[in-house]
This record gives sequence, structure tokens and C-alpha cells, in this order.
Amino acid sequence: MDNKTFLIIGIIVALVIGIMAVFLASSDPDGLESTALLVQGQKTLTGGTPADAQIHEDTTGKLSYEPPMPDYSMGKSLGSLGGIIAIVIGTLLTFGIALGISKLLLERKKRKDMKIHQKS
Amino acid sequence: MHIPDAFIPIWQGAIYWIIALVFIALALRWARNELTEEKIPLIAVLAAGIFALQSFNLPIAMGTSGHLVGGALAAIILGSPLAAVFILTLVLVLQAIMFGDGGITTMGANIINMGVIGGYVGFYTFKGLMAVTKNVNISGFAAAWSACVIPAIACAFEMYFAGTFPLVPGLIAMGLYHAVIGIIEGFVTVFAIQLIVAARPDIVDFKINIKEAPGVKV
Repeated sequence: MDNKTFLIIGIIVALVIGIMAVFLASSDPDGLESTALLVQGQKTLTGGTPADAQIHEDTTGKLSYEPPMPDYSMGKSLGSLGGIIAIVIGTLLTFGIALGISKLLLERKKRKDMKIHQKS
Repeated sequence: MHIPDAFIPIWQGAIYWIIALVFIALALRWARNELTEEKIPLIAVLAAGIFALQSFNLPIAMGTSGHLVGGALAAIILGSPLAAVFILTLVLVLQAIMFGDGGITTMGANIINMGVIGGYVGFYTFKGLMAVTKNVNISGFAAAWSACVIPAIACAFEMYFAGTFPLVPGLIAMGLYHAVIGIIEGFVTVFAIQLIVAARPDIVDFKINIKEAPGVKV
């Protein structure tokens, strides 16, 4: 499989996984959130998470940042569609930035190698 | 285990950021020395794949869910723990800035846990077990499981220092939940390794002779 085919198949697989996650991913809290609920007395170690469980966050003196797409969604009105848009943007952005930075670093390495070559 | 801003005081977050920056600098140096034309597609696909897989939470019972973190996977496929730091940093920056998944002041701690600890634990567990078992599946599974559980333990200590969790209940819960999540991490990692090796046996760098490994069909 050449580089281009690998890139195209790779990004398609990543997008399919991400879009499937919008519909199939569990909405239960993750390990860290679940531990937070436990130490706050809202659930037991091995018991289920009550539907109304809410992590109390002490935000005094902490940074409060509003991301453009909180929790991989674009608001309730867009629902699953918003979720898909958020995941697709995120996956493509990650892909593009990883590709861009890697290419930039490789260019710098090539230029450095050429300089060493010219000197010797 | 993405720590939100509210869970760590800013001054402690700054300390984790400084440590993380040292490893980010090392990761950039790794990239400048080790990158080749052939490895770039692998890095881009791994970054996108890990981003997507991290949004796929699977239920693990106990009212809890978990997903692949990917530190072991990146380190094993690219043959360096610093590759995991490189890729996980990219993923974590985007998750925090775009989606609020993990905080900004806590990003250093998240990079240390999932990128640095996950990458180093995953890489050296894999390398050590490969030397003994010569089996990619067993080594990959154990490496991925450890690269999920050890960062979770580290995270429990950070939560204790931050005054967010008491020590013992935090350690028990974080350890238990991630011991189960680690099984997901193990299966997905082994599956992804086999898939990538099947597609590109020429660029996967196990730092061992691949033909000697019975778990891999080349």
C-alpha cells in the first residue's frame, strides 16, 4: 500500500469510527468523572450512576474557558447532526495539523542535512 | 481521564505544564531526527484515529465508561515513547481548545499522564515482553493495559495533591475503573497494530526482527 492510499484509507477509517461514536458511544461518566462522583457521595464504587448525578466543580480561582464546540456538540437544536459535524471537524483538524507539523519538521531536517552535506 | 480546569489549582497546573514542555521539546527533537517521508502518513493517521477512538466511550458496567487512550499504540507503532508524546500532545491540545475535553491549565498534567507516562510505560512494557515472549499480541495487550492503568494511578495522586480526591478512595476507584478500561485499551491496541502492520509492514518499527514474531503475519 503506497503512502497516498494509506492516508486516504486511514482518514476514512478514523471518520467512520468517529461518526459511529456519535450514535453508539456510552454516555456514562468516564473513569475520572465516575471517581469524582464517588468521592462526592453520589454513587458507590461498583453501583450504577444515577441519572441526576452532577459533578460539583469548585471553580473559584480556576480558569473558566468556553470552547467553540463543548462536549463534541453544536447545541441541542442540531442534535446528532451537530455531533457528527463536531467529530468530523475534529478528526480532519487533527489529521491536517499532524500532517502539516510533520511535513514542516521533515523540511527543516532535510535543509539541515543538506547544509551538513555542503560543508563536508 | 481528561482532567478539567476545575480539578487542579492553577499553580499546580503550571508545574505540570513545565514538566510537560520538557517532554514536548524532546518529542520535537525526536521528530526532527527520526521523521521520514514514509512515517508522516503513519503519524497523521494515528493522530486522527486516536482522536476518533477517544470519543468512542464503551460501557464497562459500574455506571462508568471508557475509551482507548492510545499512548502505547503510538509508541509501539513508531518505535519511541516520544512519538506518543508528539501525537497525544496534538490530540489533547485540539480536544481542550475546540471541545473543552480536558482543561487548559490542566493540559500539562493530561499530557504527562496520557502522553509521557502512557508512552513510556507502553513502550518499555512492549519492548520487555517482546524480548521474553516474542509475541506481538501478548506484549501489545499488556503494554496497552499498563499504559492505561499506570497513568490513572498517577492521575489519582495528582487529584490528591490538588485536594480534589482523598488518596485511598481515589486510588481504589481510579485503579479499578481503569483496570477494566485497560482491557478495551488492550484489545483495540492489538487490533490496530495488526491492521497497520498488515497495511504497511515496511514502516512499522518494532525495533525487533518482525519475522521472529509469531503474532504477526507478514
